[in-house]
Amino acid sequence: MTQVDINITVGGPQGGGIDTSSNMISRAFAQSGYFVFGVREYHSNIKGRHSYTHVRIKEERPRSLKYPVDFLVALDPDSIFEHLEDVGQGTKVIYDSAIEKAELSSARMIMRDTATRIKDALTEESYPNTILGAVEWMKKRGAKPISVPFNNVVQNAISGGVPSRYFNTLGAALTLAISGIELKYMEESIRLVFSGKESIVDENIAVVKAAYDYCKSNGLIERQLPFHEHKQKFLLTGNDGAAIGKMMGGLRMQTYYPITPASDESTIMESHNYIKWVDTEAKKMKDAGIVVVQTEDEIAAITMAIGAAITGTRSSTATSGPGFSLMAEAFSFAGTDEVPLVVTLYQRGGPSTGLPTRNGQSDLLFALNTGHGEFPRIVMSSGDVEECIYDSINAMNYAQRYQMPVIHLIDKNLANTSDFIDTIEQKKVKVNGMKFEKHGLNFKRYNLDTENGISNLGAFGKDIFWMTGDEHDELGHVTEDTEVRDRMMVKRFKKVETADLEIPMDEKAQLLGHKDADITFVTWGSQKGPILDVIDLLAEEGIKANLLYVKMMNPFPTKFVADVLKKARITIDVESNFLGQLAELVMLKTGIKIENKILKYNGRHMTEDEILSASREIINNKENKIEKVLKHGA
Amino acid sequence: MAHNFRTDLAIDWCPGCGDFGILTSIQQSMAELNYDPLEVVMVSGIGCSGKTPHYVNVAGVHTLHGRAIPFATGIKLSNPNLKVLVTGGDGDLMGIGAGHLVAEGRRNSGLTIMIYDNEVYGLTKGQAAPTMPLGEKTKSLSRPNVFTRLNPISLALSAGYSFVARGFSFDMKQLKEIIKKAMSHPGSAVIDVLQPCPTYNNINTMEWYKERVYKMEDDKSWNPVITQDNLKNADEIYAKSMARAQEWGDKIPTGIFYENRALEPFTQRIARNVPNYLTTVPAEQIISTEDGYSVVDGNKTFEDKVIG
Repeated sequence: MTQVDINITVGGPQGGGIDTSSNMISRAFAQSGYFVFGVREYHSNIKGRHSYTHVRIKEERPRSLKYPVDFLVALDPDSIFEHLEDVGQGTKVIYDSAIEKAELSSARMIMRDTATRIKDALTEESYPNTILGAVEWMKKRGAKPISVPFNNVVQNAISGGVPSRYFNTLGAALTLAISGIELKYMEESIRLVFSGKESIVDENIAVVKAAYDYCKSNGLIERQLPFHEHKQKFLLTGNDGAAIGKMMGGLRMQTYYPITPASDESTIMESHNYIKWVDTEAKKMKDAGIVVVQTEDEIAAITMAIGAAITGTRSSTATSGPGFSLMAEAFSFAGTDEVPLVVTLYQRGGPSTGLPTRNGQSDLLFALNTGHGEFPRIVMSSGDVEECIYDSINAMNYAQRYQMPVIHLIDKNLANTSDFIDTIEQKKVKVNGMKFEKHGLNFKRYNLDTENGISNLGAFGKDIFWMTGDEHDELGHVTEDTEVRDRMMVKRFKKVETADLEIPMDEKAQLLGHKDADITFVTWGSQKGPILDVIDLLAEEGIKANLLYVKMMNPFPTKFVADVLKKARITIDVESNFLGQLAELVMLKTGIKIENKILKYNGRHMTEDEILSASREIINNKENKIEKVLKHGA
Repeated sequence: MAHNFRTDLAIDWCPGCGDFGILTSIQQSMAELNYDPLEVVMVSGIGCSGKTPHYVNVAGVHTLHGRAIPFATGIKLSNPNLKVLVTGGDGDLMGIGAGHLVAEGRRNSGLTIMIYDNEVYGLTKGQAAPTMPLGEKTKSLSRPNVFTRLNPISLALSAGYSFVARGFSFDMKQLKEIIKKAMSHPGSAVIDVLQPCPTYNNINTMEWYKERVYKMEDDKSWNPVITQDNLKNADEIYAKSMARAQEWGDKIPTGIFYENRALEPFTQRIARNVPNYLTTVPAEQIISTEDGYSVVDGNKTFEDKVIG
């Protein structure tokens, strides 16, 4: 088997068909039997600013991305300037020869500070501040520029219309031709991407053929990638995974207020609300669906979801940091009133509006402490698209089983990661929906007489009881009685102990890689994939490493984590935040300090190469107490 | 035996409070409508009005300040079979919760919303509420009010409520009939209930109101009802209702300002997008098979995401 490992970045203006271009590339590789893994990066902007996708293609499922890229496909001048640092030995830089003379100063959509940094980099080595200058700068680093007359190639292929509309197709086709994908797979890809829009399929295929011809006649095709037999797969993002998992987990009402990067989850649910049922009794309700409600604000989103939970409906909301800040008061209500509620919290760069479309993991300590007063909650996190599916089912289960709010943390990088999944496993996680029986009048919803803190869950419509944000008695009426207060506090917190006893360790923390290792990485969220790749690379150098991967932050797997860390030799905390929030939690719970840190808070995802070089630096340093801040990313 | 809509809790409102009349009107209207108590839900916010659900023997949730409406909407939308009555103060529903009051008008989910309108925040010692006129100085204020008065009737009409009325807490007979009509109305209703706060509002007393209120229904020509049959007159009726809403001062109208039976409730709008929503309501759906696994076929429901 050849060792195919291709990293491709396609850049262009937001709204310029970058997603479509990337989609064509992904689908063509998929048709040929390869795995594709990718992320999307974009500004908080509708049209014009620089946006790009970075995909990695392998014969086995990739888990991370890597720089330098093998292809940089620039659909506009900005994409050359912005990705100056992403190229290296052998990078093929595909761009339109018409832009060669474009000046950096006229690329007005590049953020001013970024333009200054690019200018400084070019000027320092005496290159002109133009595309040609930038290309020369890249050549010095081993890149191979491929200047293509975009307009001519397209114009000769299409029957009419504006050639620039096809630049995204052209860029994808050139990339595929040069990387050695057969023309027929690219044609299939075009048919799939534009399915339902037959009128434009032919024109696009004509552009693809022209691109392949161009590459052939200019001797750009160096190899042919072999075709691999393969099964159909799902191409899913983290947002998709969470939507699928929650719906499978019994969600029947989702509320949301629009916010990046959370809203996609809700819109995906809305577009798939004609549920297809498995062949059971459920078929009787063959056409029932789920309700997705866009609310007037985040406070309404969470309180409406709580309202739905009160009738026995599994319900949830999805939001991001600013929205969750608004939800804090109601979250506290859900805690004291023991409401089964799931909040999927998509983290982006904070604080405040922060980096609204960029990655971050800075809401862990917030999630552990959201809301006033003391009340139980479950805080859990996912690290890849597959986990998003099954963790979301579990989140729905935990909320109902333990009658408490659950925060499911997903970072922006994961929300926007595209990954291949063989199949959605119907029987991986049980749902165990409860049957609500009618208790009728004066139902003791908050019955204190329980061993495990869990009282019978009632539902409005079936039982009469009360709920209040005030401290309450067993019926749910307001009380300020000292003894009932004490017993209610104990009962509520007892549920966290119960959850800790019942939830399997695998759902809370995992030790991945060598049992006995020299290096122990500690992380959560989307760094899981790149760290596992780094562990494999370190093994090739003879260094044994493992990963303490934390999935549940409350109840926290204190003993497991402490046992691993006590045995560990060199420990490295890896997080996309400033403080090392998981390390702080570990310190609080176990008293153990993780000596080294690899942190990144510039809003861009961590890549395999970055973590690898930072790890080497830590390993080679005898002092061994390093905080390394990663800086890369356009 | 008929259900007793009262609970046995001691009621801790001040003597002479208008809330008593509202509570009795609610209990009586439920009894007269012959409701199955399991089909009714009460939702309140924070303040004196917020305590109401605890005194009514149906399922009740005493929520957060200003947020009764979205809680209630969640209950209604997840189980449209339930009749949902919201009680809140003027500050609760039109101060901190004003955004939700407006949004619910646009939805028309089928809630009955009662605004306890006494011009003050009672439970926090009588600060000015959004319904207090500019320059008014009740005994609880150290300086005259510097805000202008918000008109609950015209606000409700502007927001799109399909049933808008005003009652008076000392006319329980009229208030009870308004509540019965509002709860039988398919869309969302706002009832502005004038009531004295005997402790903090020494201006708008029971006597003050009694001298001013009159019933619109006493004029037989007053007919603010829109149905499928008179839709062509809808704009004209709405304009008349809005004009009537402006009356305030020496004469204060009570009764029904507006009743639009032709406006489709939110639940029916959802039903157009979510199949069988009204027959298999979300709260009643089966979510797992007998052996405990999901009834949602993930692979088939999301088959459009298949690639390669």
